[in-house]
Amino acid sequence: MSRTVTIEPVTRIEGHARITLQLGGGGEVEDARFHLTQFRGFEKFCEGRPYREMPALTARTCGICPVSHIIASNKACDHLLSVSIPPTGEKLRRIMNLAQMVQSHALSFFHLSSPDLLLGWDSDPVSRNIFGVMRQYPDLAKDGIRLRQIGQSIIETLGGKKIHPTWVVPGGVADPLTPEKREAMLRQLPEGLEIARRTYDFFKTLVPKFKDEASHFGTLPTMFLSLVTPQGNLEHYDGLLRIKDAQGRIVEDMVPPEDYERIIGEAVEDFSYMKFPYYKPQGYPKGIYRVGPLARLNNAQSCGTPYADVALAEFHMLQESGPIASSFHYHYARLVEIIYALEMMERLLKDPAILDHRVRARARSNRDEGIGVSEAPRGTLIHHYRIDDDGLITWVNLVIATGHNNLAMNQAIRQVADAYVDGNQLQEGMLNRVEAVIRCFDPCLSCASHAFGQMPLRIELKDAAGQVVDTLSRG
Amino acid sequence: MKALIIGYGSPIRGDDAIGPLVADRLEREGVPAGITVISRHILTAELVADLADQDRVIFLDAAIDAEPGEVRCQRLAPDAHAVSTMAHFLDPRELLAWCETLYGQAPESYLISAGGASFDYASYCLTPIAEVAVEIMLARVRQLIDGGTAPTPGSNEHLLDLDQTVMRTARLTSP
Repeated sequence: MSRTVTIEPVTRIEGHARITLQLGGGGEVEDARFHLTQFRGFEKFCEGRPYREMPALTARTCGICPVSHIIASNKACDHLLSVSIPPTGEKLRRIMNLAQMVQSHALSFFHLSSPDLLLGWDSDPVSRNIFGVMRQYPDLAKDGIRLRQIGQSIIETLGGKKIHPTWVVPGGVADPLTPEKREAMLRQLPEGLEIARRTYDFFKTLVPKFKDEASHFGTLPTMFLSLVTPQGNLEHYDGLLRIKDAQGRIVEDMVPPEDYERIIGEAVEDFSYMKFPYYKPQGYPKGIYRVGPLARLNNAQSCGTPYADVALAEFHMLQESGPIASSFHYHYARLVEIIYALEMMERLLKDPAILDHRVRARARSNRDEGIGVSEAPRGTLIHHYRIDDDGLITWVNLVIATGHNNLAMNQAIRQVADAYVDGNQLQEGMLNRVEAVIRCFDPCLSCASHAFGQMPLRIELKDAAGQVVDTLSRG
Repeated sequence: MKALIIGYGSPIRGDDAIGPLVADRLEREGVPAGITVISRHILTAELVADLADQDRVIFLDAAIDAEPGEVRCQRLAPDAHAVSTMAHFLDPRELLAWCETLYGQAPESYLISAGGASFDYASYCLTPIAEVAVEIMLARVRQLIDGGTAPTPGSNEHLLDLDQTVMRTARLTSP
């Protein structure tokens, strides 16, 4: 008799989602699916709007990482203008993107995942939350808040205190940086780096304890997609696309972002509103790949900053050879990237040219089609627009970072469920591990509604006739 | 007195913009030394560090559980159970609970809110009834930061009910 276990909503992720586990007669997992249950429709309702509105419109896609959409959207608009933005404008955009990386990764690690990592997957769910962490690890909790504060403060210093800053504009940025603002940002970075390094050192001591989870939390033989510099190093703002396979062979390299459609296809399934991107030459669903911090570090030869490069070398030692396969190590990769972002922001701000007043190229639209690609905290983000002669949007395609990981997230929950879920006797810790593997990817499913913490949660075991034979509730 | 005023809400969802708009007005018109005014889309985790060393915090928000134009002033207490269902933003009471847990104390805090009439798309634009509520909210904020009377813990002070607001709206909008 087959049964279905439903986990809804998935907690401590950004957005609303459901997980279903199909169990066979012996209680074994036969299938596992991750469902995105909300529909947004940005691609449709942006049609007819002037292209210059796109950065502001698409920033509303996400309440927590609007900067990522602002960057990718403005890059698509740069492409429509057919301009090269002034180097200082580009550097200032880079700083804002890196500040976003710091605050988003800090939220994922300290706020959303630390209850599992520090208190344990099987600990009492009543206290397995941020308050439990604050009570047992107050200094670490304060560090997480301070890192977010630093990231947010740099974004505000650059973009202004408006809720949705319009400082990044097609062609560059609206205003040059003042010496006072530069100093204000530079003052915070040493403390941020100290916190990031301290947290990284602490987490390294925990990693050996998670050997079992590292083996079963989405340890998958997938490819990895990310931007890299022309030298093959870590890149978050610009650069070229690289795909490495599970053995570490480079299967696509130095692909101009404008050619993304040659290598990335998008499939749909009837059980989710999230698209299923795949590597086109291998077809669907064989062309599974991952993006985000894990992919970026697997693809990068070097970070290019001192402390991050040491951490990158240690990251590669997590496995004997080849790209790091376990999705559990997204957490590790996030901490390496926080270190990198803080070091790189300091380098960019200390560049004397950062105060140059030429920060914006001005032009009207000179193309009918624009593509902007950047690395958001969760992975490669693609904005693709077509416009008419009046500059009005006629077609939009957004390939969101989390979407790239969709195939991998589905396989990851299957792997965790196989390893931990006993369909004959459900336990809360099993459920939490299935959710926790999704948290490794830090998915951002929408900006409108994000699930958190100890939400009411009910799991039902139903028999083939739909009769509930077992339930598990919390909240 | 060291105080922090936080206006929060979505600027593109009609009357939900009332918190940020009241905060913007306060900033434009000026506040006494020691008072900081900020606007936020949502209340996020890092704000807890800004709360920790304040004597008084005033949250400004729109309300969906009040009649349109109805203005309330509530004393807030930390509440770890006031957990928002969303990952990226917090209830003000939850934020205070974070502050109390991490820093050993939470500032004296108030929520001044106004019922909204419409939460449809509008960019920094309020309905007439909410526009009137802005003035009431501003007056109450001024009282609180000038050391005026404050509601006692647990109390829920109604500053203006619907009928009064409608009358004021009619006066303001009549030719």
